[in-house]
Amino acid sequence: MGRLYDLLNQDVRFIEGLKACINCGTCTAICPAAEFYNYDPRILVTTLQSRDEEQIEALLKSDFIWYCGECMSCKTRCPRGNVPGMLISVVRSLSQDLGYFVESEKGRQQLAIKRTIGQWILDHGYCIYPQEIELESHPEQGPVWGWITDNPKEVFGRFEAHYQEEGPGILRKIPQESLDELKRIFDVTGGTERFEKLEEFSRKKAEEMGIEFSPGQKSEYYLHVYNFNNNKHGKDEH
Amino acid sequence: MMGKKVIVIGGGVAGLEAASSLAAFGIQVTLIEKEEHLGGHVGQWDRLFPSRRPAKEITGYLTERLNEKVIVHTGTEVQKIEQSGKTWNILLNNSQTLVSDALLLATGFDLFEARKKEEYGYGIYDNVITSADLEKKFAQHGQILNAQGKVPERVGFVHCVGSRDEKVGNLYCSRVCCVTAVKQAVEVSEMIPGCEVFCFYMDLRMFGLDFEALYKESQEKWGVHFIRGRLSEAFENQDGSVLVKVEDTLASRPLKMKVDLLVLMSGMVTSSGTKKLMDIMGLETDENHFLQPADRQLQANETGIPGLFLAGTCTSPKSIDETIADSRAAALRIMEYLNSVDS
Amino acid sequence: MNIEGKKIIWKEYQKEIADDDFFYVRSCVRQSFFPGSETTFLKILREVLGKNISEHPFHTTCTGIAYHSDIVPFETTMTVIARQFALMTEAGYHNYVPSCITSFGMYNEVLDTWHHFPEVEKKVREFLKTATGKEFEKPKNLVHSSDIIYKFRKEIAAKGKYRLINRFTGEPIRIVEHIGCHYAKIFPSKGIGGAEYPHVLVGMIEEWGGEVVDYPERRHCCGFGFRQYVVKANRGYSIACSQKKFESMMPYKPEAILTNCPGCPFFFDRWQYALSEMEGITYGEDGQGIPVLTYEELAGIVLGYDPWDLGLQTHQVPVEPLLDKIGIPYDPEKKYLGKNGEYIGKPAIAGNLKFCH
Repeated sequence: MGRLYDLLNQDVRFIEGLKACINCGTCTAICPAAEFYNYDPRILVTTLQSRDEEQIEALLKSDFIWYCGECMSCKTRCPRGNVPGMLISVVRSLSQDLGYFVESEKGRQQLAIKRTIGQWILDHGYCIYPQEIELESHPEQGPVWGWITDNPKEVFGRFEAHYQEEGPGILRKIPQESLDELKRIFDVTGGTERFEKLEEFSRKKAEEMGIEFSPGQKSEYYLHVYNFNNNKHGKDEH
Repeated sequence: MMGKKVIVIGGGVAGLEAASSLAAFGIQVTLIEKEEHLGGHVGQWDRLFPSRRPAKEITGYLTERLNEKVIVHTGTEVQKIEQSGKTWNILLNNSQTLVSDALLLATGFDLFEARKKEEYGYGIYDNVITSADLEKKFAQHGQILNAQGKVPERVGFVHCVGSRDEKVGNLYCSRVCCVTAVKQAVEVSEMIPGCEVFCFYMDLRMFGLDFEALYKESQEKWGVHFIRGRLSEAFENQDGSVLVKVEDTLASRPLKMKVDLLVLMSGMVTSSGTKKLMDIMGLETDENHFLQPADRQLQANETGIPGLFLAGTCTSPKSIDETIADSRAAALRIMEYLNSVDS
Repeated sequence: MNIEGKKIIWKEYQKEIADDDFFYVRSCVRQSFFPGSETTFLKILREVLGKNISEHPFHTTCTGIAYHSDIVPFETTMTVIARQFALMTEAGYHNYVPSCITSFGMYNEVLDTWHHFPEVEKKVREFLKTATGKEFEKPKNLVHSSDIIYKFRKEIAAKGKYRLINRFTGEPIRIVEHIGCHYAKIFPSKGIGGAEYPHVLVGMIEEWGGEVVDYPERRHCCGFGFRQYVVKANRGYSIACSQKKFESMMPYKPEAILTNCPGCPFFFDRWQYALSEMEGITYGEDGQGIPVLTYEELAGIVLGYDPWDLGLQTHQVPVEPLLDKIGIPYDPEKKYLGKNGEYIGKPAIAGNLKFCH
């Protein structure tokens, strides 16, 4: 068995998620990503099952593995107990750890997620934080969101929140000690290493692509991966 | 063999043929059947694959052949079974006791309860029926109409319902549903000219000699469409038609389709009668929940218990010709046993 | 449709829900977008039901969104979850209640992994000890907060001031229910009613007088898709999923959408707004959107709480038409006031969505 397959097999979720696929297609039939994107979870599973090193490497470098929305509808239907949505997590993890994710348009977006969601976890202890969600990058929020983020203390205060204060309650300030514990957890479990890899591989790719790369959400590379869509991801495009 | 007694539990195809075969050699056979009628499932069917001969030809042959010396108890169930030495003692639910030298279990199969495949909505959506429901409609010789009384313009057949499915706990293939689906697809096409018929399958198990020819006929003569994809979900539209979601795996495309009638090919599972006997006798089953013979190839009709024999679909899904051959084999094994016990 | 068929399935998928002494962990998304809901949940549990429910101020995100966007390794998420369990243990509780559905799915997934792979649990305990010095016990009962409202729906109905009836026509309010994917799709036995015909919201709607509307795309994901929404370039997927559901439910004329997941009501609410702006379509009656509610908001409406205490003003699709139908009194002037009643401005009027002031 090839090197990549062996690496995949070290992930406990690979063992949990891949029993044996009979190509029945019930997963693809119900998959929202297969409806809209040029994606097919059945093909993902049979490719992994083939243990073909070349095909798996191509998979890890492609847009294909980034279309899944991890809704797990596939898990409800598979008659063999396979979980394509979980296998997606496994291949995405490996793709990032090996740096293959920068070879695809959708893969490159991981940096944007790290610099938003990832950063907010370490800075605030929340995955989503109101002051970080700007109307400009989230126009679908609607005018009500502008009103909320203009007056957060007053709006959240109506609901007995402790907005950015200590103690229990909505949007409380999570104590620095807890944030430190979170950071240490990231350090010992490989989370910090993953974040650093996302930055480093992206930086190299940006250099290759000739795009300006710097920290934060204003860098040209960040804005590129956050916004760019080649419009070739739909069902009938290739 | 005179003076030897055998009790056969189950009056379907296997039980009838085994009883007749044994009685032909002078063995005193008692046949116990829990329903009021003999013939088992086949008695409820219209026409049989692959030739589409009437089912009555089979049940007629078997009941005619049934030796008048066979004592038949219909509408009767077994309550207790005990073996002392080489003798079997049976208590029936009408308080009668019977004694025999050998016991044959021919308790057959049940159809998989299609409502357990929740995502297909049997028992919830009116236009989702099983192959058995459709067969009943055929047997009634009326028009095939959907729940709204409309002649269906499009009918879908779903293969592997309750089979090859770890979700419902049945890993095995039920063997005969594929060819039954093709047969019913042909029959629907015949009865409703212009009706579009779709079969949603994973594999087409056309194992019998003439099955492939039936498949070919369904395509060439009747234009039945075959989509290689296991049905994922069915839902009822406002007008009562059924919306189905499946992947056409050969084209690698998910598709949604509306049908007027959806037919679920329910697989074979171990019968409630068999389960009751398992409890009474403390018998074990294999991981497929069917009765386990001593050796599936070499001793397919024997159990580990001397004098206890098995025939028919209580050990595995079978077609009618296989069941008849198996029941005759069981009769032969029983006679060998009775003969050896003598000497 | 034959409801009896569904009832058999609902009976088969019941689960044990603890009665009292709950350890509550909040949802990142709900705190930001539906703050009134979590407050209402605690209020109902403490004041209406007299239950003991505790919240630890040191608890953090479970990292669910980061995990399902795949920026965070499984080990990291498992250890953060272990830390949450440690806080529960330190506080002396055994009944764990997450407010978020993704979290609920994560906790179940992690516990299941540890069950099948005890060596993984051992490793996580070591990670937690090394990073924080903490130790934990696994929860004895793990349910979602909507399960608790479901369990006490009859008590809530008994104390309720309003029923979900249209006061002009006398007809029950027609409500579409939407279950978050990670509630029962991962482990059907962990969801009331299972994965195919979940009962947790159906039970609430029916107990409180409404009528449940079923429709073909009921099980379809709302389209959050984690990375499919977080990254702007991917949002087409997210809005397409929601639109698919809106188009499927529209012919059944639902008057409200009820959900039990943090993300789902957010997307149903905001994508209706976005679709009205982009394509001029609205899915409710008469140029309106279909109001979207969390189960706490619905419970609060039934109990007669002030809609602005429930947080309905933070929705983009106006809920007032529904309130008018039921006969819930509200003061439009107080809608956009701040916590001390001060005037803090109003949001601009959404272009194509009928808005009432």
